[in-house]
Amino acid sequence: MRIALFIPCLVNQMMPDVGIATLELLEKLGHQVILPKGQTCCGQPMTNSGCFNEAKKTTLKLLNAFKGVECDAIVCPAASCLVAAKENFHEFDSSPEAQAVIDKLYELTEFLHDVSPIPAFSKPFPHKISLQMSCHGIRMLDLATPSEQMGPRNNKVEAVLAQIPQIEIVYPDRRDECCGFGGTFALDEGAVSGKMGKDKAQAHAATGAAYAVGFDPSCLLHIDGMIKRQKLPIQIRHIAQVLNAAL
Amino acid sequence: MSNKNSAVHAKKAEIFCQDEARVDWHSKALWTVREKRDRAAGSLPEWEQLRQIGSEMKLHTLTNLGQYLEEFEKNCLENGIQVHWAKDGAEHNRIVHKILADKKVKKLVKSKSMLTEECHLNPYLEGHGIEVIDTDLGERIIQLAGQPPSHIVLPAIHLKRGEVGDLFHEKIGTEAGASDPFYLTRAARAHLREQFLSADAAMTGVNMAVADKGAVVVCTNEGNADMGANLPKLQLHSMGIDKVVPDIDSASTLLRMLARNATGQPVTTYSSFYRGPQEGGEMHVIIVDNGRTDMLKDKILAESLKCIRCGGCLNTCPVYRRSGGHSYNYTIPGPIGIAVGAQSDDTNSIPWACTLCGSCSYVCPTKVPLDKIIHHHRRLKAEAGKLPYGKSSYMPLVGNFMASETMLNCSMSVARTALKVLPGSLLKPFSGAWGKYRELPTAPNSSFEAWFKKNRG
Repeated sequence: MRIALFIPCLVNQMMPDVGIATLELLEKLGHQVILPKGQTCCGQPMTNSGCFNEAKKTTLKLLNAFKGVECDAIVCPAASCLVAAKENFHEFDSSPEAQAVIDKLYELTEFLHDVSPIPAFSKPFPHKISLQMSCHGIRMLDLATPSEQMGPRNNKVEAVLAQIPQIEIVYPDRRDECCGFGGTFALDEGAVSGKMGKDKAQAHAATGAAYAVGFDPSCLLHIDGMIKRQKLPIQIRHIAQVLNAAL
Repeated sequence: MSNKNSAVHAKKAEIFCQDEARVDWHSKALWTVREKRDRAAGSLPEWEQLRQIGSEMKLHTLTNLGQYLEEFEKNCLENGIQVHWAKDGAEHNRIVHKILADKKVKKLVKSKSMLTEECHLNPYLEGHGIEVIDTDLGERIIQLAGQPPSHIVLPAIHLKRGEVGDLFHEKIGTEAGASDPFYLTRAARAHLREQFLSADAAMTGVNMAVADKGAVVVCTNEGNADMGANLPKLQLHSMGIDKVVPDIDSASTLLRMLARNATGQPVTTYSSFYRGPQEGGEMHVIIVDNGRTDMLKDKILAESLKCIRCGGCLNTCPVYRRSGGHSYNYTIPGPIGIAVGAQSDDTNSIPWACTLCGSCSYVCPTKVPLDKIIHHHRRLKAEAGKLPYGKSSYMPLVGNFMASETMLNCSMSVARTALKVLPGSLLKPFSGAWGKYRELPTAPNSSFEAWFKKNRG
């Protein structure tokens, strides 16, 4: 398939390794990967603050970067940004061209589970990992059944990772409680955000896992800051990095 | 409707967070309730189906609210119940006072009612010389402590047992230093029994009002509502217009979820249906609007009126558990408090006391889309020019900055260099809340885009 990468600003600027791992793993799976130019922020910091006027310019600019781009899918290694892009594109542009972009948007895990499953892994990943089940991915993208919901359970994140030889998957206590990042919440409500992040970092470390692994870079960056402040014996990894290491 | 000491949520939360051991205790106590809820909900294979039915039934009732309220009133009147209509809290309080004054009531026993908290009934009646005794144990504790409730189902959850022991020692004469819950509860029971026996009237909230029966449903675990309603000859029940349901089946659907979602019990110990005065007595129902009709006009906010006040969203809320019920500038705290209280929040901060994690919306037994409503409140506040935390000044700048690739790339490149070359001690003061609570991120060498250009370009 021909895949256009949607690399959110946070990944582009602060976690380029996540972008590189995403690119490499998609290439290893035989896809042709392109990076459309002119990508900006999805507008989430503004719309989540209630400031829709301020979000319009950047959202439309990002949308325009993908309009008319020849590709089968647009893949993003950040669940929260992907959800925001979908919602904000829809909010500011109701044209068929915008809808065509929206219809091609996939979060990486979702893409690897629903559209283009990984046939086999070539290397083992002999480590214990603690999964970071970030809120928007599970509650807005259905990557996994949230703990609040009763009945049949589904977990695309675990399903994709569990195929890796020798990997051990565990979950922190209060498995899908929010890590407290919340975008501008981390700055506006520093004390509560800090306490939530501290609790989450400690819960991951308490599993004895070598890595806290997730699909949302912003949550991971927040938890990383907490792990380092607490000097906890665990590191963060994005799911793309784990998958790429096993391919 | 703001508290005397109005302050932005973040400020009050920061104060609450200073005692970390207490935050951990508070968060754990409420998370335990969430876990009980999960077990109780999971014990019903049809749980998600019940939520769907509950949601649709409440939406249907709200859509035909006028019709159901009129039907409820008609059937109440046929049952010998007197019905009163109040457009706001002030009118509600005047009506209640008139009913009590006509009967020369000196002491009123009250069971739990968030509506009367919302209307600030207690101080109003006390100002008119009527003694008001809250008879729910948690409510009585906070009444004796002179505090507002910090939770809608567990109003004294913020107090530790030792603090309750000290309070009881001072107010109702228990032994100094006693903190055994059994001993304290027995003492409260004896104290409350005297109040019931000497009261002239009783008042309760309403969990559901059954339209086709002209009956009100009152749920308690302590039987205090029933003790009140059955002793004095005069009984009053206050309800919001959103409490009406079409029939017994609808009420039963909600009853199956209410206690399970609130505390993890299959059902409240007492779930009483009142459909008429006792012999020789009087029964009054006061139906209150107090802003609910306005809320119905906005189709997103309207869904908050599906709420049945189980408190499940508070227990699951990671922010509520770590900031306490008194940090919200409204009578009702937590996600549902933001949903129904944001418009009267003069600090314009409570809609931002939320990470939009969405857990509350999935916990809710009637599928109130709480995160969507909270997000909507932010938009309404922004459009009204009421943004907190300096957002009105920095958001336009962020908007322009993020929309400009060049500006974003240049300044991020400067930031990356700064993170690399400058010592943390120099950077931290400039990183605000981020650096105060977390370590700053390690700066990568280049952006992904630059890497791509170099390696794939």
